[in-house]
Amino acid sequence: MSKLHIQVVTPDGLVFDGDAGFLVARTPEGEIGIMSNHLPLIVPLAIDSLVIKEERGGKIIMTIAVNGGIMEVRDNQVSILADSAEQAGEIDLDRAMRAKERAERNLEKAKKDHHIDNMKRAEVALNRAINRIHVSRK
Amino acid sequence: MAESLVEIKRKIASTKKTSHITSAMQMVSGAKLSRSEQASRNYQRYAAKVREVLTHLAAAQLEEMDSESDEGSGLGEEKADMHMMLKPRPVKRTGYIVITSDKGLAGGYNSSIIKQTLQMLTSDHKSDSEYVLMTVGRTGTDFFRKRGSNIAYELLNVSDQPVFDELSELVRSAIQMYEQGIYDELYVCYNHHINSLSSQYRAEKMLPVSDLEVEEVKKYEQEYILEPSEDVILDQLLPQYAASLIYGAVLDSKTAEHAARMTAMKSATDNAAQIIDNLSLKYNHARQAAITQEITEIVGGAAALE
Repeated sequence: MSKLHIQVVTPDGLVFDGDAGFLVARTPEGEIGIMSNHLPLIVPLAIDSLVIKEERGGKIIMTIAVNGGIMEVRDNQVSILADSAEQAGEIDLDRAMRAKERAERNLEKAKKDHHIDNMKRAEVALNRAINRIHVSRK
Repeated sequence: MAESLVEIKRKIASTKKTSHITSAMQMVSGAKLSRSEQASRNYQRYAAKVREVLTHLAAAQLEEMDSESDEGSGLGEEKADMHMMLKPRPVKRTGYIVITSDKGLAGGYNSSIIKQTLQMLTSDHKSDSEYVLMTVGRTGTDFFRKRGSNIAYELLNVSDQPVFDELSELVRSAIQMYEQGIYDELYVCYNHHINSLSSQYRAEKMLPVSDLEVEEVKKYEQEYILEPSEDVILDQLLPQYAASLIYGAVLDSKTAEHAARMTAMKSATDNAAQIIDNLSLKYNHARQAAITQEITEIVGGAAALE
């Protein structure tokens, strides 16, 4: 059976480039699994983990923390375009923890000031930090 | 005329020291340049991908725009369903992001950007209220602030190898101001890196997104499944594309900055070598003159004794 060729691309470079049989991602609507010969598809992604597996139910090749972005599937080519993404093994847990604390403080402050823009921003930052911590502990 | 020997010697020593520093700076910039070029290559891959997906998605809307402009109907009502960031609107005010460097010693890098931006501002606009500036880098910020221009956003101390996160704030504000109608067009003014010896000033239009070619899309025949809907995806992808363009411009200008600094430092080192040559020649002349004079004096003294 043909395999999926997966590329995770960010402005700072290629985070993952390789072949796999199965891929689980999360969209704002819910979880989505991609196998080879999937129909062409474009979906936005949630701030969550991306799990690349050898086959469905098989061994995990790589877990990647993705900060939103877009996934495109075409001709067994999967491209994930995100502002930033990190492989689970490369996440700096200390930094992620600090980011989480900072985001929590900002959120508190924004709530106090009723600054809606800042609140949204802090929420996104918090989500990203939590996601990274979560993925690195998997 | 003649400087003393000691003085010339001191000058040679200090020029030598300066040339050591400039040649070290040249090497540092050279290393930074090659890293920047690598980063640009990484970014290119991302930009090409985003553009590809976006072009395909926006194809339907772009075709609509094309057919309309063929009929010459201008800004028709039919365009109401076009995405805001694709749709050109009458320009009342223009936004400019001007990218300069934080540090000097980069030859004509900053002055060329500032000069040409200023030229463009004065020729394209009647008054200062017709444009909004956003500046990246200290040199440009200081210049435009002194001039009393309207600076809506400033970003200082961008690192030598900027990462996307550093710029996300600038990008977000720029897009937000466009959406709020503070300006109707956005240009980015920067120096484009051509090679290590030359760069070129550019003012690129970033918003509304207008450089997508419908022809590019015709390659793919298949239809995509779009979830949850085309509009939702465009809402996310268009800002992402605009952000990537702005980030690309900053990367490009950083590369050009490193190249400019490297070239400036190289010519400084070369000049120093030339000055040292001239000074050495002068030193030898002066030394020889001193010796000759001493001999004449001794000979003269001996002759007087006879």
